[in-house]
Amino acid sequence: MTAFLQALASGLALGAIYGLIALGFNITYATTKTFNFGQGAFLVPGSLVGVSLLLLAAGKPHFGNLTQAEMTMTAYVLATVASVVVVGAIGVALYYCAIKPFVGAGGLNWVLSTIGFGIIMQNTALAIWGPASIAVPSPLGSDVWRIAGAGIRPQEVLIAVVAVAVMVGLDIVLRKTRFGKALRAVAFNPQAAAIVGINVETIVILAFVISSALAGLAGILIAPITTASVFIGLGVALKAFSAAIVGGLTSPRGCMLGGFLLGVVEALVGLWRAEMREITIFLLIIIVLVVRPSGLMGARSVEKI
Amino acid sequence: MPALGHAIGVAALAAALALVPYLSLNDFYLQILFTIGVNYLAAAGLNVLVGYAGQKSLGHAGLFAVGAYTAAIANIEWGINPWLSLVLACIFGAIFGLVIAMPSVRVSGPSLAMVTIGFGIVVEKIVTEWTDIFKGQAGFYGISPPSLGGVSFTNLHWVWFVGALCIATHLMLRSLLAGRYGRAFLAVQMAEPAAQSVGISVVRAKTLAFVISAVTCALAGAVVAQQNQYFNSDFITFNLSILLLVVVIFGGSGSLYGPVFGAVILTLLDAWLARWPALQHFTYGALLLFSLYLMPNGIAGAVSSLAGRWRRTAPALPEVAGHSVLSARAAPAGGEILVVNDLYKAYGGIVPVRNVSFAIGAGKVHALIGPNGAGKTTLLNLLSGHVAPDGGSIRFEGRETVGLPAHSVAGLGIARTFQNLKLFGELSALDNVLLGAHLHIETGLAASLLGLPASRRTEAKARADALALLTDLGLGERADEPAKSLPYGLQRRLEIARALASQPKLLLLDEPAAGLNPQETHELGEVIRRIQQAGVTVLLIEHHMDLVMGISQHVLVLDYGALIAEGRPEAIRRDPKVVTAYLGTEEDEAA
Repeated sequence: MTAFLQALASGLALGAIYGLIALGFNITYATTKTFNFGQGAFLVPGSLVGVSLLLLAAGKPHFGNLTQAEMTMTAYVLATVASVVVVGAIGVALYYCAIKPFVGAGGLNWVLSTIGFGIIMQNTALAIWGPASIAVPSPLGSDVWRIAGAGIRPQEVLIAVVAVAVMVGLDIVLRKTRFGKALRAVAFNPQAAAIVGINVETIVILAFVISSALAGLAGILIAPITTASVFIGLGVALKAFSAAIVGGLTSPRGCMLGGFLLGVVEALVGLWRAEMREITIFLLIIIVLVVRPSGLMGARSVEKI
Repeated sequence: MPALGHAIGVAALAAALALVPYLSLNDFYLQILFTIGVNYLAAAGLNVLVGYAGQKSLGHAGLFAVGAYTAAIANIEWGINPWLSLVLACIFGAIFGLVIAMPSVRVSGPSLAMVTIGFGIVVEKIVTEWTDIFKGQAGFYGISPPSLGGVSFTNLHWVWFVGALCIATHLMLRSLLAGRYGRAFLAVQMAEPAAQSVGISVVRAKTLAFVISAVTCALAGAVVAQQNQYFNSDFITFNLSILLLVVVIFGGSGSLYGPVFGAVILTLLDAWLARWPALQHFTYGALLLFSLYLMPNGIAGAVSSLAGRWRRTAPALPEVAGHSVLSARAAPAGGEILVVNDLYKAYGGIVPVRNVSFAIGAGKVHALIGPNGAGKTTLLNLLSGHVAPDGGSIRFEGRETVGLPAHSVAGLGIARTFQNLKLFGELSALDNVLLGAHLHIETGLAASLLGLPASRRTEAKARADALALLTDLGLGERADEPAKSLPYGLQRRLEIARALASQPKLLLLDEPAAGLNPQETHELGEVIRRIQQAGVTVLLIEHHMDLVMGISQHVLVLDYGALIAEGRPEAIRRDPKVVTAYLGTEEDEAA
């Protein structure tokens, strides 16, 4: 039972990460019918930029290991802000280099261009930080919290709290604010949105900034669990993509739900047999998609004849 | 590419392969040639799937694995001869192609990407984790290569063998894609409903494309395992799936020569940059990022648009005399060809077809009229099988069609056009009509792959017939133009030609006069009369009352999903219910 609770807790934390990234996929997909297939590479600067700034602030070289004392909550918050800002800014570059030339052209070219952008980013990161991974202490320390007998890592709680707060915040922003309405207008019909005076390109760029920033946030949140390295991204982003598809790429809440679902299933299967995690998850995803091709909460598209 | 040029090209490649030993290449260069061949093999089949059938796969590493592990296990565990192992690899590839096709044909867009990614990863994890059978990272050692006359393959033999496989694959795919199968793939990619309306099973076409891509990919994997004499799970990664897709798209998907360009250039680049791994990755990334920006259709697309500048094409004349479907003369048939009973369809609270019953007399022109939103197009979609009804029955020549997929309904002899034109835009007018005749071009897959004389004759005959039909409808001059470049009025007429080419018994026309000028509308009336004379029953939806009253013998009126009147045109014109539906009543106006 305690093992179950423990797995559930890590599953929810991991699921929150998937959900955050998946939400980013949803926001850009809604506006442009594209998303960043190379999103995995965006987690890398997400985790490393903030950490390196802290290291530099502590007077150390930019790739080293942080001590627990250097990782105060203030430091972590500053590092998070730095990561989110930097990765969000890279989102602008992503839009101009990899998305803008291919939007509306149909076909798969945007998939390859975003993968290409990701490869360049990852190798730039490799040149800056090298292949070694950096241990990142959690600002809440490494002592396990005992809740109902189950040992839960404080960082997992932090991840879940931050991710849920961001998701709820974004949900409100998307539903209530002028920006959110403009975004949904662009998603529904870019031409009509332009006619009523919405600057479509600005909205689309903002969508990519948000999407990238979410990946950056996911990177720094997950770093204390997985350690920070150039290679953490691909697997996580692939699962986040799966979460978005299973939940429904067209539904923000579906994406978040998909994230949690995937995280929990992954953790529970891991409890049974760790090596069966991916096999089970992806088989399940295939079955879900056969039954519901647009995901659990996605809008069914009907082609008008 | 003209046949002669193509023959010379293939002969030159074969000659170049024969000359390889005299170039005194070392093993490094032989390995590069081998890798080019393997990449081409895998990409050539994938191109059929991605470029022709329009199905994107990000999981073909899984099929590469199927081939490689079949070759390894068959040889090492089962002691099967390497030649037979290769055949077995192709068979297993085909089986797994079917397996991956089953979920894939049901989904599209990002969900399709997900299903294929999922397949790739599941295979990757299975071969990594299930070490009892697949040996995981330790891998299989000592996989025997095939031997000829007791001599095991050397690197030179491998280059020859793979070269021969490449040429054979190329010739077979070229023959296949030039005929009805290639057209069917393209039709499915461009407009699924239209493909169904000419009798193409979308599921079957996509499945076939998956199987073809699986076979060549598995063959490539098997060849790599045998040449390497070693294979482990590290070969099978998501990156391999991406690489295979890149070879196709960078080279130019949908072009027969795209995979050739892709395989040659990417393999050479890879080998050349191998000395600087960091640079290699950057180049790879930049290539993905920018090459498609500069060459949206890949290298093959760029080359052919360059070549197009000084190429002159004369429309090829048919080798045999064609026969236009319209020139047939049939005696007026009697009886009812179509009987609709209590047909019902609802979308949520909207009921576009509400318990409609009527009968269509054979050999007549029937018109279906009604205000906008009356449910006319939905009714037509039910008749053609594109939409399944919620209740009721449709009997065509005494046979129930409810429950049949659209392509089977087309196969029974019901053809249709679409209100919003659904032509295969990139294809020539002639190819559009040939697609209409799809069900009547009876060429088997094997005959088509091998380019047997019988299949060529069938194709030539179909081409001549299609051209005769186009000429009959005044489109003969423009047979070679892409459908989308024709003026709007001619596009409408081409859709009718495509439907007629399927030699239907019942032709459903959805607003054929929409957007036509008075002259074109008049000509359309003449065309419909000729269609009737050829013995085809016509049901048309039309708002153009002059046309309706002029050509039809029977009019059906639909309003709010219900049939409110039917009868002879002059009676319908005076029917008070019909007048009310169109113009409203006095009370309505007062309200």
